[in-house]
Amino acid sequence: MEAWGAAATAALSVWLALVLGLILLPSVIGVSLGISELYMTVLVKTLEWATRRIEKGVKKQQARMLKDSASNGIIQRVDTTMEKEIASLHRADFELSDIFYFCRKGFEAIVEDEVTQRFSSEELVSWNLLTRTNVNFQYISLRLTIVWVIGVLVRYCLLLPLRLTLATIGIHSMIVGTTLVGCLPNGSIKDWLSELVHLTCSRILVRALSGTIHYHNKENKPQKGGICVANHTSPIDVIILTNDGCYAMVGQAHGGLMGVIQRATVKACPHVWFERSEVKDRHLVMKRLKEHVADKNKLPILIFPEGTCINNTSVMMFKKGSFEIGGTIYPVAIKYDPQFGDAFWNSSKYNAVSYLLRLMTSWAIVCNVWYLPPMVREEGEDAVQFANRVKSAIALQGGLTELPWDGGLKRAKVKETFKEEQQKNYSKMIVGNGSSGNLSSGTEPD
Amino acid sequence: MGSSHSMSEEIQELAEKTGFTSEQIEHLHRRFKQLSGDQPTIRKEHFDNIPDLEFNPIRSKIVHAFFDKRNLRQESDGLADEINFEDFLTIMSYFRPIEMNMNEEQLDHFRKEKLKFLFHMYDSDHDGKITLQEYRNVVEELLSGNPHLEKESARSIADGAMMEAASICVGQMEPDQVYEGITFEDFLKMWQGIDIETKMHVRFLNMETIAQCH
Repeated sequence: MEAWGAAATAALSVWLALVLGLILLPSVIGVSLGISELYMTVLVKTLEWATRRIEKGVKKQQARMLKDSASNGIIQRVDTTMEKEIASLHRADFELSDIFYFCRKGFEAIVEDEVTQRFSSEELVSWNLLTRTNVNFQYISLRLTIVWVIGVLVRYCLLLPLRLTLATIGIHSMIVGTTLVGCLPNGSIKDWLSELVHLTCSRILVRALSGTIHYHNKENKPQKGGICVANHTSPIDVIILTNDGCYAMVGQAHGGLMGVIQRATVKACPHVWFERSEVKDRHLVMKRLKEHVADKNKLPILIFPEGTCINNTSVMMFKKGSFEIGGTIYPVAIKYDPQFGDAFWNSSKYNAVSYLLRLMTSWAIVCNVWYLPPMVREEGEDAVQFANRVKSAIALQGGLTELPWDGGLKRAKVKETFKEEQQKNYSKMIVGNGSSGNLSSGTEPD
Repeated sequence: MGSSHSMSEEIQELAEKTGFTSEQIEHLHRRFKQLSGDQPTIRKEHFDNIPDLEFNPIRSKIVHAFFDKRNLRQESDGLADEINFEDFLTIMSYFRPIEMNMNEEQLDHFRKEKLKFLFHMYDSDHDGKITLQEYRNVVEELLSGNPHLEKESARSIADGAMMEAASICVGQMEPDQVYEGITFEDFLKMWQGIDIETKMHVRFLNMETIAQCH
């Protein structure tokens, strides 16, 4: 018994020492030892090998078809606008045939709609040896199965405990560190220390997810007094961005562990946390954000204008609120590589704990972050147009599709005002034509 | 769906009945399951989940068309409460594009079927005639979003169009003759010479079989 106890303690201390030396210390200094690079190279080689085996096992033809199916669509839509289509059919002002356009559009929508596709995880072209992405793939060979079993063992028995340890250390040090720093009087030392603490904890947390992040165009990094906007895929977007710089976060005050973290960090660094009741009051929210931005010494705010998690294949409507604050906008595009792990949080399917578990048992989180050049609202441009401009820039850089839809459709129905748009447009066409013809009330035409 | 024997037999039957290929049927089946929430039948409420459809001014007529028993090729009249996958495919088959290898007779039948579908959409009380009131209903639905348009204007547009229809179908009318409504034969007459086949179809991409497992 004694021997077991001693052996266990020894093993644990060796483990912790390794973790401290190889992971934590480099995080503080901000240096990478290259261990994760090595891991990634091995991983990539294994997955390439697996893909080749699958392609050999499945007929070549089918593999090509799999690639086609990954692109989203089973019907070919004709992209003419309502105006062109109806004009081509017209003999007179209103026609029975006008109904064709709407009929066909309705049917196309029933067969396939663009929006609900975005709220489920992206389908992969080839399997990455995770059961969860096994949609199309069947048993291929014994060797592949063995590799998969080894993969499961590695992920659950080796990586998961390591990641949990790191995550716990990271969160604890964040709370403790920021509380300590918060006790200091305001000044430049406090700011510097708070930056150090935030950066270190972010780095630990990124390593806890085996994250490999490539930052591009670092010269466009958000400056103080600006607003940083990015597309939203999962809660870890925040960690990805704070790994490279310090931001003032904006959000709702939560209870539980999240609340503890929020209260601790706000002492060290002026994050903007709103109470639930305050969130409803748009003017109050605006006022506080405007004040924050006006102070050029404060860190840039981080906002996700989509308002909800999208599955990283497209960018949905940017809510105009963030763009009415004023100041310079620094857009950032984040694109995850789905081959190594799916970061998207489908909150209707998974709760927070199972989401974190999935995240920690994926191979890795690989993503690219592009800092785009700053944008300001131009003369004569209203908030909605500005928001769309920023959205296009982000979608273009990240290689994502641009959709005009509201991310809120995940949970709510379409707003009444939008429903009427088509009818308004159509009736403008008819009445516009009709006013030159037979709109005099009551009298017969022609 | 897998590849069990009875499944593929069913698919073959459906393919023959509706004219879709088996790959298209599998895809539509996946969509059916998505809409119905994995249940075997769809009800009207299930169509509320499609945001794209909400924008369509005649969405209620389109949804209605799915449950219309005349479109489902059933002898009885009225509305069904729920439809299964075969009914879903039957309705979808009205929007199949023309195939290259159709002869004159088949083309004519095809066109008639599509026009009948459209006729049923207008004729909401199922009496076989599109009356002035029903016509007005459709026009009002299409134009209802415009707040500046008064009801009177919508009515006069409908009245004008109805007059034109009458003149095509019946020619000059006596002063005291009442035009009851557009029957299906009159409806066909109105569309003579106009190519509707290309306007009323949904083009499916050609997809090979994709094995699925859940």
